[in-house]
Amino acid sequence: MLKNYLKIAWRNLTKHKAYTIINVGGLALGMAVALIIGLWMQDELTHNDYFSNKDTIAQIFQSQTFNGETGTGPAIPRPLEKAFRDGYMDNFEHLVMASWNNSQYLKYKETSISRTGNFMQREAPEMLDLNIIKGEKDGLREINSIMLSASTANALFGNEEPIGKVIKVNSQYDMMVTAIYEDIPFNASFNDMHYLMPWDKYLTTAEWLKNAEDQWGNNSFQMFVQIADNTTMERVTSVIKDVKKDLNEDTAQFNPQLMLLPMDDWHLRNFFENGKQVGGRIKYVWLFGIIGVFVLLLACINFMNLSTARSEKRAKEVGIRKSIGSQRGQLINQFLGESFLVVLFAFLIAVLIVVISLGGFNELARKEIDFPWTLPSFWSISILFIIATALLAGSYPALYLSSFRPVDVLKGTFKAGKHSGLPRKILVVLQFTVSVAFIIGTVIVMQQINHAKNRPIGYDREGLVQIPVMSQDFTGKYELMRNEFIASGAVVEMSSSSSPTTNIWSNRSGWTWEGKPEGFQEDLAYTEVSPEYAKSLNLKIVAGRDFSREFPSDSNAVLLNETAVKYMGLKDPVGKLLKDEDTENPSEPLKIIGVVQDMIAQSPYEPVKQGMYTFDKYGNASFYNLRLNPKQSAGQNLAVIERVFKEHFPNIPFQYDFVDEEYGEKFAAEERIGRLSGIFTALAILISCLGLFGLTSFVAEQRTKEIGVRKVLGATVFNVWNMLSKDFLKLVIISCFIAVPIAYYVMNGWLQEYPYRVILKWWIFALAMLGALFVTVVTVSFQAIRAAKANPVKSLRTE
Amino acid sequence: MLLQLHNIFKWVNSGGQRIFLLKDINFEVREGEFISIMGPSGSGKSTLLNVIGMLDGFDEGEYQFLDEPVHSIKEKHRANLYKEYIGFVFQSYHLLDELTVKENLEMPLLYKKYKGAERKAMVADMLDRFNIVGKKDLFPAQLSGGQQQLVGIARALISNPKLILADEPTGNLNSKQGEEIMQLFKQLNDEGVTIIQVTHSEKNAAYGSRIINLLDGRMI
Ligand SMILES: Nc1ncnc2c1ncn2[C@@H]1O[C@H](COP(=O)(O)OP(=O)(O)OP(=O)(O)O)[C@@H](O)[C@H]1O
Ligand SMILES: [Mg+2]
Repeated sequence: MLKNYLKIAWRNLTKHKAYTIINVGGLALGMAVALIIGLWMQDELTHNDYFSNKDTIAQIFQSQTFNGETGTGPAIPRPLEKAFRDGYMDNFEHLVMASWNNSQYLKYKETSISRTGNFMQREAPEMLDLNIIKGEKDGLREINSIMLSASTANALFGNEEPIGKVIKVNSQYDMMVTAIYEDIPFNASFNDMHYLMPWDKYLTTAEWLKNAEDQWGNNSFQMFVQIADNTTMERVTSVIKDVKKDLNEDTAQFNPQLMLLPMDDWHLRNFFENGKQVGGRIKYVWLFGIIGVFVLLLACINFMNLSTARSEKRAKEVGIRKSIGSQRGQLINQFLGESFLVVLFAFLIAVLIVVISLGGFNELARKEIDFPWTLPSFWSISILFIIATALLAGSYPALYLSSFRPVDVLKGTFKAGKHSGLPRKILVVLQFTVSVAFIIGTVIVMQQINHAKNRPIGYDREGLVQIPVMSQDFTGKYELMRNEFIASGAVVEMSSSSSPTTNIWSNRSGWTWEGKPEGFQEDLAYTEVSPEYAKSLNLKIVAGRDFSREFPSDSNAVLLNETAVKYMGLKDPVGKLLKDEDTENPSEPLKIIGVVQDMIAQSPYEPVKQGMYTFDKYGNASFYNLRLNPKQSAGQNLAVIERVFKEHFPNIPFQYDFVDEEYGEKFAAEERIGRLSGIFTALAILISCLGLFGLTSFVAEQRTKEIGVRKVLGATVFNVWNMLSKDFLKLVIISCFIAVPIAYYVMNGWLQEYPYRVILKWWIFALAMLGALFVTVVTVSFQAIRAAKANPVKSLRTE
Repeated sequence: MLLQLHNIFKWVNSGGQRIFLLKDINFEVREGEFISIMGPSGSGKSTLLNVIGMLDGFDEGEYQFLDEPVHSIKEKHRANLYKEYIGFVFQSYHLLDELTVKENLEMPLLYKKYKGAERKAMVADMLDRFNIVGKKDLFPAQLSGGQQQLVGIARALISNPKLILADEPTGNLNSKQGEEIMQLFKQLNDEGVTIIQVTHSEKNAAYGSRIINLLDGRMI
């Protein structure tokens, strides 16, 4: 009997090949999308699961309010450590001060590499529960010790035993390798921590670090904690929130509020608004989750639609089987079993699709996701899902058809259209509603990205290269290097700056100026630059003049950007003075010599921040900005630059970034979203069209005889096309009118997050609707015209 | 008594009017009878046969099958009757399009849970008897109307039913083939099988022991 069922099932599938490909293929595609999105969500939601103490680790965050604007971030001042250690340690299991993640040159024998990592206090390996492969966990005990990730050790030492070896860091100091830890996986914080050096060592590397010990206003450090067993994150936050405010009067005016950000929230819920945590990436996790569910829903709808449409053709089989003696239960089992088999088959194809496309997806989404072959929960969810889909798709034919009296189906009085048509129509409408909404959403995301990309950036980022120079080796070499690079012919102009062109690393307050409003708490982006900064960037001077080497007094000069002039309320800025607020021990006043055009250094979606550029008196350069010679190719220029660089810094790996690429990084997140949603939209439309295609061919087939008769009686191809297409077009138009308001509402909400945003235009919606209609017409016509052109004798004979 | 119909009425409502398909049908059939139902086209022959076979219902009257009122026969029991007792030959054959001739013949046996070897033997026997061995691997769509009818009859007979309900079993056959089928029916009837057939042919009707004539749903 089973063989008989299988035979029928198989022949039904192979006889109607197009239908089978559409049905199984569509479902498999939908499942594959859902699987990939599911894997991606799983990856996002299990970020940091690598750390065994994930639930008790937190980072200290600080909110401060300037002029009513509250900003929140992880930067805290050094004296906070002492305050905590003196009075709050009963809240903490571990407390670890840490530097920012920064790159260092590591050199062993002839091998020199650049790696990112941190300086941290001794308890860090214990708190993070690093997986020590070699050496000791307490590897930061001695001030000259260094712990390395396995991959770094491998790059430096190869097969040599690393423990006990001495490596040169930044060609400055010798550090002894005390431990090798397993690389922290990609989907965890600290995954770019390839070395760990002692905090105390860090404090010896620069004067300002030592000086920061009692500077409450110098927020340049990070602090991680593991809370004690007997308390909670909320409780600790409430205990520590006013510690800084209570201990330091000078900064109390900014109302510093401290809080813990649990490790669990670092990745997905690290956005703040007015000092309150307001979610973050988690939004996209759910967004894509919803997309996944919808795509899967579309595929399931197709599957149900086509399966049930098909099954009506099999009513006769039900009648015959019943008259031969089949029991109702047997028929139900037969139909459900068939449905189950098809779904299982589709699932296998889906797994195949996922396995094949996971590599590409990882690249696109910047992930390192593996297929969870061995994850029991994955398989159990999959099995549940297969059963649920099979039941959904198979229950209609199983229960409905098997309930008919044989005579009705055998005599053909059983009418397929009436009862089963409506749900099918609703499903088609639902499908196209989702598709049209997806189209609109994707177009708007793309538009927003382009809108921001086309925004004038203020300087010329093409042909601009930056070289990081955050090492003592470069101290005092700026003028020399500038002359050498320009003399080499590869560079036409060069400057240095304390922040990269594409970011702001430092902010300052504490100035007074003529006409400064009472109680105004200014907050200015602060960059120290060499005199040719504006020239090398092609940054326009809109008032006054640029720095000049001819005026020695320019060492106390400052350039403001346009926003700063407005922000500070300066009517006629050039020539005015910026004085230090600290009257007891003031630094020299700065003279405003000019105003430069606003340039986008931070988010291209936000207004440019008010900023000041001061003369770099003390050699605080972090970057060299090189304007390449436009008469040569970038490759030629870089080869020359590298040669010159190596002549002067043989021990330092030559590193550089194209500023336009760095700038492009700012769009990476949105572009990823745009690309992914584009792909998913395309798939959603494809699946919907497959379904529509299947349904049209089904209807055409169902009405073959009618079409044949009509043609014999004189109907034209157009008449028949019209007859078959009209109904579907109506449904798609209804979908459009449901989808447009929904899409408008959602996308408008999304855009609100971007201060610099595209304006929603009506034609986007019109275009999406037209697109959907066009696709529908093409899909439906393909079948309809084929049916209409078929030879009537043939179609009449099939009865 | 195999079956008894008393005052059977069947109607459909159409446009506020009641159209009678069967009117006051009364007759009894004993086991081993061979009955022919005759009448002009549209007189209700197929309808009556469907009612007898319990494929269709009726609106008024009493019908007892093997001394059991039909309306109280449970679906499961009825399925068992079809499996063990009744064989249908349909006017429009009703073969399963997705199965070959051989597989169509085999299907009733599957429901009766015969063993594989037995099934093979019985199918081979039927193919042989109806002279369609050469067609055994063809699908219904590849057969002529008459060949399909033969397969339909063979399928009804293969499970050795005690009651055969045949709706114009020879309608698409030539007279020689028709005669062979009638001979076969006669032989089965002699072996004790009850047969009720619908036919337009006086000659075929003559094989039966009794003729029921219908006109506009009424027995005459
Ligand atoms: N569901 C129905 N609704 C309305 N009328 C019906 C229905 N089913 C059958 N009839 C009518 O009942 C009458 C009898 O039909 P039936 O199929 O029994 O005829 P028949 O005697 O078998 O004819 P033929 O010899 O052509 O096969 C016909 O006039 C038919 O139109
Ligand atoms: Mg008839």
